[in-house]
Amino acid sequence: MTLLTRQDPATGHPVARAGRPRGRRWKRYPTWKFYAFVSPWVIGCLALTAVPMGYALLLSFTDFDGLSGNWRWVGLDNYTTAFHDPVVWASLRRTGLYALIAVPLSLAGGLGLALLLNQRLRAMGVFRTIFYLPSVVPVVATALMFKLVFDRDTGLVNGILAWVGIDAVPWLIDPHAFTILIMLSLWGLGGGMVIFLAGLQAIPAELLEAASVDGAGPLRRFWHITLPVLSPMIFFQLVLTLITTLQTLVQPLLLAPAVSGGAGGGATDATHVQQGDFLYMVNVYAQFFSYQKYGYGAALLWILFLVILAVTAVVLRSSTSWVHYEVDQDGSEQ
Amino acid sequence: MTTPKLTLSNRDALGARRGRRLMYAALVLLALVFLAPLVWNALYALKSRSESASTDVHVLPQSAEWGNFHRALTMIDFGRYTVTTFMLAGIFALLVTASSALVGFGFARLRGRGRKPLFTLMLATTMVPQILTVIPTYVIFSKLGLVNTYWPWVLWGLAASPFHVFLFRQAFAGLPRELEEAAILDGCGYFRIFWQILLPLVRPVIATSIILAFTFVWGDFITPAIFLNGDNTTLGVAMAAGYTDGGITLNNVLAAGTVFYVLPVLVLFFVAQRSFTRGVATSGLKG
Repeated sequence: MTLLTRQDPATGHPVARAGRPRGRRWKRYPTWKFYAFVSPWVIGCLALTAVPMGYALLLSFTDFDGLSGNWRWVGLDNYTTAFHDPVVWASLRRTGLYALIAVPLSLAGGLGLALLLNQRLRAMGVFRTIFYLPSVVPVVATALMFKLVFDRDTGLVNGILAWVGIDAVPWLIDPHAFTILIMLSLWGLGGGMVIFLAGLQAIPAELLEAASVDGAGPLRRFWHITLPVLSPMIFFQLVLTLITTLQTLVQPLLLAPAVSGGAGGGATDATHVQQGDFLYMVNVYAQFFSYQKYGYGAALLWILFLVILAVTAVVLRSSTSWVHYEVDQDGSEQ
Repeated sequence: MTTPKLTLSNRDALGARRGRRLMYAALVLLALVFLAPLVWNALYALKSRSESASTDVHVLPQSAEWGNFHRALTMIDFGRYTVTTFMLAGIFALLVTASSALVGFGFARLRGRGRKPLFTLMLATTMVPQILTVIPTYVIFSKLGLVNTYWPWVLWGLAASPFHVFLFRQAFAGLPRELEEAAILDGCGYFRIFWQILLPLVRPVIATSIILAFTFVWGDFITPAIFLNGDNTTLGVAMAAGYTDGGITLNNVLAAGTVFYVLPVLVLFFVAQRSFTRGVATSGLKG
């Protein structure tokens, strides 16, 4: 027999009750305890997310340069400037292109690898570890390793190409830099693979067996069972990958060739970033830290935020037509 | 598998075997491609200075130059960067785990008005681009004199992280109610229930949270690059700046430094791969 307790609202003393069915609300403690427990996040979110965002919004209506105290309100000037700024449009197009290529490829690649590894074969654990490994390597190290692999004179890839008789390709500068940026993002697709693998392993084997007894081939089983069951996961991954991809900044900075040549150097300077890698956030970063245009940079940040919100909203809306929810989404009650 | 196998003709079995062999070949090839940057970097760290500048590329170093590893540690203030990185990562990991456990417990076990919308809001904030807050936070913190100190990481740690909160909430929500009900009957307060009864039961999640937070800060580039300057920076930023000798960049020494920089993460990964997988899988399974 289980004892469920409740607090008497008047006295605050616990009252024992026997055999009461679950699921009904009952008050057993003052609710301030809930707020006390969640207060770190609430205060932290206000102070470290809401305030900075609000501050950025205020800045975006000024011509603040980050140092001097003299600034003035410029109204919507920063936003109209951004709208007419060809650099902003070019970087936005570049970011869109990057997302259009990198997001589907990394999702499909992750799913494909997960499908391969989901078969009960030998040494699958080893392969899973190998594919997963790159996604935990720090981004700085990833970029440095890619620079060594793709170096024009001393890199592995051009070494192999030379062996086959192909001339050295300057991978790290335009027009090839963009390709390397995409490859770098694909190298980390193991994170998605692990998620998909977890989802695949949660699919009841009876479901797939029943389908094959009914004469469904592998393709139809994939299309009608595996894909629908995985769709919430794919959707969640799509949203997350899309958001991270649209705000990509670090990889182009780190891949930018140093002035003196070589793998290191110049990483905190946006001005060496190749045109092909000149994503939206690279421009924002340059506005802040190369040109000290804090007001303009803040406006660009807010524009990106609105763009990301809009894109997310579109994806969310589309989800009703292709995301299949088998069970109630709300997992908060057990 | 207890289910009986469906009848397979010999031809099917032969085809299956061939397909399997083909798949293994594809997997091995892919694995080589995925490992190439790591292996190439490790081999590069052994190249001599003249070989690392030569266009005559060999996969294996012509002579192993172990001195590169020593140079990587001594040419720059490696020790100081390592201590800084370790401190920042450690402080953040411990604080964010503690605060997130509290918040996760609150969401999982306590009730209050607005609990559900608050939880939804918290999940929604994970969608706010991080970079959007980092730069304005820098502007504010520079006015408060918090730039170039450990304080930003302390504050971020105290503020809890939605992702870690989510991990803890899931773990706490899965524990039976009877545990705390018995404790309440015995007159135990909620903080003690949290601290003495439920927290010890979610030890694997604590480990996961600490490991993930630690590797996150260890691998972070943009925050230390913006918030710390010069000598006070982290190993990651130092590696990005590279090694130079009289204006000449030394890629072989840098490769050796990169090995040292990546090593702790790889060790953690192999020791606690389950933690990484759990972190990723939990975040992915729930929308």
